[in-house]
Amino acid sequence: MTANLTPMIDMTFLLIVFFVLVSQITDRQRVRMDLPRPRDPATMRQRDEQRTVINVVPAEDGAVAAIRVGGDDFPADPDGFASLRQELERQYRENPAVRMNLRADRRIRYRSIEPVMRSVTEAAQAAGVLPRVNLVVERKD
Amino acid sequence: MTPMIDVVFLLLIYFMVATDFVVTEEIYRLDLPQRLGSGAPDDPFELERDPVRIGVHTTGPEPEDYALDLTGPWPQPTTFEELLAFLQRNLIRDEGSGLFPRDHPILVAPDPDTGWEHAVEAFSTAVRAGYVNVQFVPTS
Repeated sequence: MTANLTPMIDMTFLLIVFFVLVSQITDRQRVRMDLPRPRDPATMRQRDEQRTVINVVPAEDGAVAAIRVGGDDFPADPDGFASLRQELERQYRENPAVRMNLRADRRIRYRSIEPVMRSVTEAAQAAGVLPRVNLVVERKD
Repeated sequence: MTPMIDVVFLLLIYFMVATDFVVTEEIYRLDLPQRLGSGAPDDPFELERDPVRIGVHTTGPEPEDYALDLTGPWPQPTTFEELLAFLQRNLIRDEGSGLFPRDHPILVAPDPDTGWEHAVEAFSTAVRAGYVNVQFVPTS
């Protein structure tokens, strides 16, 4: 005489599938990196709004390995920035209210961040909308 | 049946631990100027306002290795705390003390070699002091 285990196994499998999916979704949008941690930041929580995450993926000594938007990697060279601009422009045309979340490692040099911001500005200009950007930082608690 | 349940529980625990739900990431709103580099005011009769330009430089690998400079006849801050104190002291509050209104243009001017960490810290300092018109300026 043993207990009927079928409902428990059903539930457990459901939970596993849930966690597998959730961890994949978070990984795709959030590349692991060291975000800047300003002291006592006057930040706000991300509101529930349309956003596109632009990950500036770090390489060694402050250089940029790639710029990842969604699942696509754009190399940090003039061709890469041109296609990044096209991609962002497409997103702006699709949804003019979209906000660009800029995630960059804290060791990256400003010279590598600036072309990304420039791409956002130019893409917004081409699509005829205001470039709205969020700087993503980490809260140290 | 027991081995399967063991394995399934292990998987469950693994994914629960590996998924971090606590989002510690927060955002600053930064509305980039429509045209980088041109600061034409919307109102043509508005008096020209000299922006406060904060230069940020990274001088070493540590988070504490940085230098600041203000363009203009201001006392030069050496730390972000001093910069914060300067900006807060000169913010116009109700009684008419101070020099800069809340929407006074504050420009954060990092070097090409400045680390993103310090650029964001300077931006954060201006926002903390209560200013609402804070921009990054392009390196020339």
